[in-house]
Amino acid sequence: MQSLPRISSGVDGLDQILGGGFIEGASYIIQGQPGAGKTILSNHVAFANVKAGRKVLYVTLLAETHDRLFQVLGTLDFFDRNQLGVSVSYVSVFQTLRDSGLSAVVQLLRKEIARQGATLLVFDGLLNARDQATTALDVKTFVAEVQSQAAFVGCSVLFLTSARFADDSPEHTMVDGVVELHEEVVGVRSVRRLQVKKSRGSAALGGLHQFEITSAGLTVYPRLEAALQRPSFNDEEPPSRQLPSGVDGFDELIGGGLAESSVTLVFGPSGSGKTSLGLGFINRASAEEPALLFGFYETPTRIRAKARALGLDLDRLVDEGHLEIIWKPMTENLLDKLGHQLLQAVRHRKVRRLLIDGLGGFERAALHRPRMTEFFTALTNELRSIGVTTVATWELRDLFGPTVTAPGAEISSLIDNLFLLRHVEDEARYTKALSILKVRDSSFNPAAHEVNFGNKGLAVGVPLKPVANAATGLAIPYSS
Amino acid sequence: MALIVIAEDEFLIAEVLTIMLEDAGHQVEAAGHGLAALSLVQEKRPDLVITDFMMPLMTGLELAKVMRADNELSSIPIILVSGAQAGVGRSHPEFFDAVLAKPYVESQILRAVDAALTGRDWR
Repeated sequence: MQSLPRISSGVDGLDQILGGGFIEGASYIIQGQPGAGKTILSNHVAFANVKAGRKVLYVTLLAETHDRLFQVLGTLDFFDRNQLGVSVSYVSVFQTLRDSGLSAVVQLLRKEIARQGATLLVFDGLLNARDQATTALDVKTFVAEVQSQAAFVGCSVLFLTSARFADDSPEHTMVDGVVELHEEVVGVRSVRRLQVKKSRGSAALGGLHQFEITSAGLTVYPRLEAALQRPSFNDEEPPSRQLPSGVDGFDELIGGGLAESSVTLVFGPSGSGKTSLGLGFINRASAEEPALLFGFYETPTRIRAKARALGLDLDRLVDEGHLEIIWKPMTENLLDKLGHQLLQAVRHRKVRRLLIDGLGGFERAALHRPRMTEFFTALTNELRSIGVTTVATWELRDLFGPTVTAPGAEISSLIDNLFLLRHVEDEARYTKALSILKVRDSSFNPAAHEVNFGNKGLAVGVPLKPVANAATGLAIPYSS
Repeated sequence: MALIVIAEDEFLIAEVLTIMLEDAGHQVEAAGHGLAALSLVQEKRPDLVITDFMMPLMTGLELAKVMRADNELSSIPIILVSGAQAGVGRSHPEFFDAVLAKPYVESQILRAVDAALTGRDWR
């Protein structure tokens, strides 16, 4: 199978969505409402190509002056004023269009591409060209002529337009690809999303992908379940090694420790000891087993103080570089950005022990909750495939209650080990209790055990006094 | 009153500049790119040329080079008006009688035009 030569967009995440970048000599329509990010996207692509040693021709039909555009671009990292007129030229063809029509513009573009030796042409203002055309056929002919002339000299073309061309419009049928940018309001927040609506010659990652615009330009976060439909590494024979959980008295109950590359979910209500259990796990970080805490609740300072109070020395681990603490406050997060940042941090430091505190932080960031199962599937498969042993927490809504709900049946089945922490009331005292619900491919001790804070973190104590309904927190003594 | 040729691809800037110069009593001919401007210059023999830098088909620098190499046109004063390449223009005093950075205000351009037409230093 032959693959087509491509040019990198230079925009993080976009090449992956496009199946490797823009195809050399191919034409694309970039469409979206004013403010959707078309101009930033195309200028980001333009300057990334300039940096790669290419020549770019940026042609406008807009009323906005180029100097105004440069003022805006001047706030972005990729913009390099020294390249203006050297490797990237901005020219307006408005007067040529007004005075001589579309065919004259085609002639001018042909000469200009050759003169500049451009391998990327950005044409901003296809809607204006449409206004000038007397029939729909004119714009179709215009697009066809520009792209065929550009293709002859191996020049890729991006046609920018704020018009929402219908999927079966002549313009769409002409070009090799269509990328649509949206900015929409979901609930009370706004979110930017990108969709490849047409991709000739390669399979693009379909659906809506979140992106953001910062001083670094555009960053696109491919939907995790689309980008990682299959994990990066093939599943080999599951490793037989077990990692100490870091919680005294626990490993004996679960067959010796947590299986390497497994995913463990610790769930329970607030204050039941989930994070403390997880802190014990990452407290075993070392040069051989670097650890990462990816948390949504406590700041790194508070986490370290909490660990100190538990008798765990996370400060030393952080200082020695064996532990990284990343805090993502649960404000306006983007789900896929979180997923990619987590995986990037894991890959970067070759993390072996990962604590996610907690999974609810991902769920809150989801604009479309039904996809959480697919998202967690992609995330946990990837973590397993790169050899990460993960402990994640999940907060139960009710401190006490007659029903104990696992975080969705589908999600529980993605998890290798499932542990429940509860407050159990017995004779006017609360005891923290740990139950082991599932340990994949291993036998385990099914008895609920008391947990308490020892001098080195959380520790598992004696089996819980036999009571009924311990899992609900509403225990009833067995009548003797 | 003088005859002035403007080379400017951005129509908004070209139109505003045309109005300013006409209000000041000059006659103005505008071209949308360097090559069209060169034809106008050859045909009309203006008293002054005001040119942008980045334009289709021929840049302002290329236009100035061609004019300076042509005995018939070499004495016509040229003002470069540019945002990004004002610095490049200033490094070529042999081509440009004056260089103005965009954005400029009306009084600046009119002062530069008067100076160029009378052979004075515009600053």
